[in-house]
Amino acid sequence: MDWLVLLEKAFWCGCASFGFAILFNVPPRALLVIGVLGSLAGGSRTVVVQCTQSITLGALVGAAGVGLTSIWAAHAKHAPPLVFAIPAVIPLVPGAYAYKTMLGMLRLAGELEALQANRLLVETVHNGIVTCLGLTALALGVSAPMLLTRSDTAKTIKLPPVFDLAAHRARRKPMQPPRGS
Amino acid sequence: MKTASAPIEQVGRLLLEIGAQLMSSGADTARIRKTSVRIARALGCQAELLVTPRAIVLTVSDKDGKRCHSELQRTAPQVINFRVVSAISRMSWRAQDEQWSLAEVQDAVASFDELPRYSRLQVLCAVGLAGTAFCRLLGGGAVEMGVAFVATVVGLFVRQTLVKLRHNDYLCIFAAAVSSGMIAGLAIKLNLGERSHYALATCVLYLVPGVPLINSASDFIDGNHLNGVLRGVHGLIISFAIAAGLLLSLLVFRSD
Repeated sequence: MDWLVLLEKAFWCGCASFGFAILFNVPPRALLVIGVLGSLAGGSRTVVVQCTQSITLGALVGAAGVGLTSIWAAHAKHAPPLVFAIPAVIPLVPGAYAYKTMLGMLRLAGELEALQANRLLVETVHNGIVTCLGLTALALGVSAPMLLTRSDTAKTIKLPPVFDLAAHRARRKPMQPPRGS
Repeated sequence: MKTASAPIEQVGRLLLEIGAQLMSSGADTARIRKTSVRIARALGCQAELLVTPRAIVLTVSDKDGKRCHSELQRTAPQVINFRVVSAISRMSWRAQDEQWSLAEVQDAVASFDELPRYSRLQVLCAVGLAGTAFCRLLGGGAVEMGVAFVATVVGLFVRQTLVKLRHNDYLCIFAAAVSSGMIAGLAIKLNLGERSHYALATCVLYLVPGVPLINSASDFIDGNHLNGVLRGVHGLIISFAIAAGLLLSLLVFRSD
């Protein structure tokens, strides 16, 4: 695959995530992370879609990547994981399919030839199914870390020591005596 | 160090306010329930909640369960604000870890109203960039990207203005979709760019109900099926409003 094309797609996905992050009024400390997460999601989606031709699978892989990384982001930037995950996966929402589904449904309401109506019906149902599956895949992917670790909150999920920035910082500083013993 | 649990009526009011803020800022049901229960425990009470998108019912009882207090509160229409979600989450952990008193939590909740928002210009530019990005991802060139930017910015401007005038939510989205669609349709009519229908397909993507739909799915996964259905229907109506707006502009320009 052409690396430049992939990089460009990732870049624009990051831009779209950034735009939605501003729209959803996320704290400024999370903006950069969301941009990076969005481009990672877009990049991995593009690779998976090229390899498997499945938009749903692409959305699932991209969203699962975002879900996992958002736990790390939540620890590092002190905000709930969904604050990072939702703007980052918005570019993966199958918007074009949702658009075609709705237009198809409205067109089906008009007067149509039987043959034309048949084709339109099949196309509309297909687009609708891709939309629904894509959205479910996004939600499943985003909540995968919570489901897999059987955890109620991201706070108690232990990160592998390499990624645990807070622990690194604590190790670098001399240990503080416990407060109010 | 606290000795007795706080007065349950006041705790109940406070938790309802927190829950209502979380709901209208775009949190999912499980988060609202967990956060409220966590704060209640920090204040030495127990809380049970019934959460729906437009109202929250809650029962607070003191530690030994002798007294309890129930109350209902309607929630404001949804304006997504992740800064509030983030601030409430941080506050709930600090309240638990540092054993906050009721007054401290009340002060923190009062300060959430003053949390800053991005300025209107910043939001318009950022969302315009997102629209441009969507157009490029679909395969548009420079001209289409420009059209998508202008259409997105104008549509969002219309929506913000109508929301300020307190119009119906779905009507705001419909009007925004019409405005964006009109601009993209005009570009098609004037033969701006070779693939100007890409701009038409992407200029309304900033209206896509991503938060209601993703929250709907996560509510289903968590077993809050009723809220999942309600949020899903809300998202579906928004999608219909977008499609109807686009269809209207398509009819005006007859550029199918």
